[in-house]
Amino acid sequence: MACHSCDKLVNVASLEEGESAFCPRCGHFLTRKLPDAYGRILSFTIAGIILLIMANSYSFLSFSSTGLESVITLRETPGAVWQYGMPVVAVLVAAFIIIIPAFILLLLLLLCIPLYAGQYRPWLVPVAKGVFLSHNWSMVEVFIIGVIVSLVKIADMATVGLGISFWAYAGFAICFTVAISSLDRYQCWERIEALQRQ
Amino acid sequence: MTSSDITAASRHLAACHLCCKLADADLHHCPRCGTALHLRKSASIQRTLALLLTACLLYIPANLYPIMITEQLGSSEGSTILGGVVILLHHGAAPVALVIFLFSVMVPLGKFMALFYLVWTVKRHSPVSARQRTTMYQITEFVGKWSMVDVFVVAILVALVHLGGLLSIRPGLAALCFAGVVIITMVAAESFDPRLIWDKTEENGRKKT
Repeated sequence: MACHSCDKLVNVASLEEGESAFCPRCGHFLTRKLPDAYGRILSFTIAGIILLIMANSYSFLSFSSTGLESVITLRETPGAVWQYGMPVVAVLVAAFIIIIPAFILLLLLLLCIPLYAGQYRPWLVPVAKGVFLSHNWSMVEVFIIGVIVSLVKIADMATVGLGISFWAYAGFAICFTVAISSLDRYQCWERIEALQRQ
Repeated sequence: MTSSDITAASRHLAACHLCCKLADADLHHCPRCGTALHLRKSASIQRTLALLLTACLLYIPANLYPIMITEQLGSSEGSTILGGVVILLHHGAAPVALVIFLFSVMVPLGKFMALFYLVWTVKRHSPVSARQRTTMYQITEFVGKWSMVDVFVVAILVALVHLGGLLSIRPGLAALCFAGVVIITMVAAESFDPRLIWDKTEENGRKKT
């Protein structure tokens, strides 16, 4: 394969399970072979989907001061921005924290079940393209930091409570990150091509 | 340059940027996934520069307008990105102030400077270590989306803080501009081709020998 960062040709055919390859010229990460990568991705993906559904069904955060309380769900976060006349920001926030990650998890499910079972399916190529085109645009881990920063910001204004949905979302963020980082671009495409040839 | 440093381009092979497949550069589409094939990303420098300039211009209103407006008992008060950092410092929340300052001020400015510097050194055939510049590019690419923190903070606060007529927070125009800055710089970093850094060092090496 050619290094994506400096275009040097590197032979990675001798890579063993559990090993990673780095470019000898520029040090860029090339590929790694995880043992049972697809089973691992599949389990974290399924856990992630369940947690994301939970994160959308309960209350996310609550805020109370002088006897008044306001409780929000995850969906109301972009919703409120929409109501204040900023639909573009609202759509972007919703896309980065819920829509794109959910879309990627569904695609991962469609991709990893056939790869795990070792069967070729006609949708593998478009689904894999979808995953690798969109995975840069999910910002679940950034959103978690955003929640923590906002909590500290208003902590002395009022009492803030974390809902079930917050913990579900935090768990979802972990599952999502593990699943997506276990998917190796080069190995995944090589496997699709091998299955296609059969 | 050692003899083992053979690039794909010198063999007239193009690596698909989506699926890593090596294919003859005369093919226009990747034989495996169908994505358009190029030896190098097309018009990389021009695209990166154009997007960078757009982001720089957007960064001005992002800092001048308030990012959120707090309405308390009838009086409203806007705070800009930098203003928010100062308020946090006064409240004694130094770690959070540092996080916001890092992600909302240092990271965008650092990205502007890093990308301008990379484009400039590629144009100028700079002798600066290609490896160091590659690391610089990788950091720029990695750090990109973390600037979104401030936009998310605004979204959460706007949704969470509304207690009848007592207290509420509205998003300001800067939130839109700042989201724009983050997205455009992410696309700019994506359209820069780090292989150009190495192409030039190879040319320099050939001239010396």
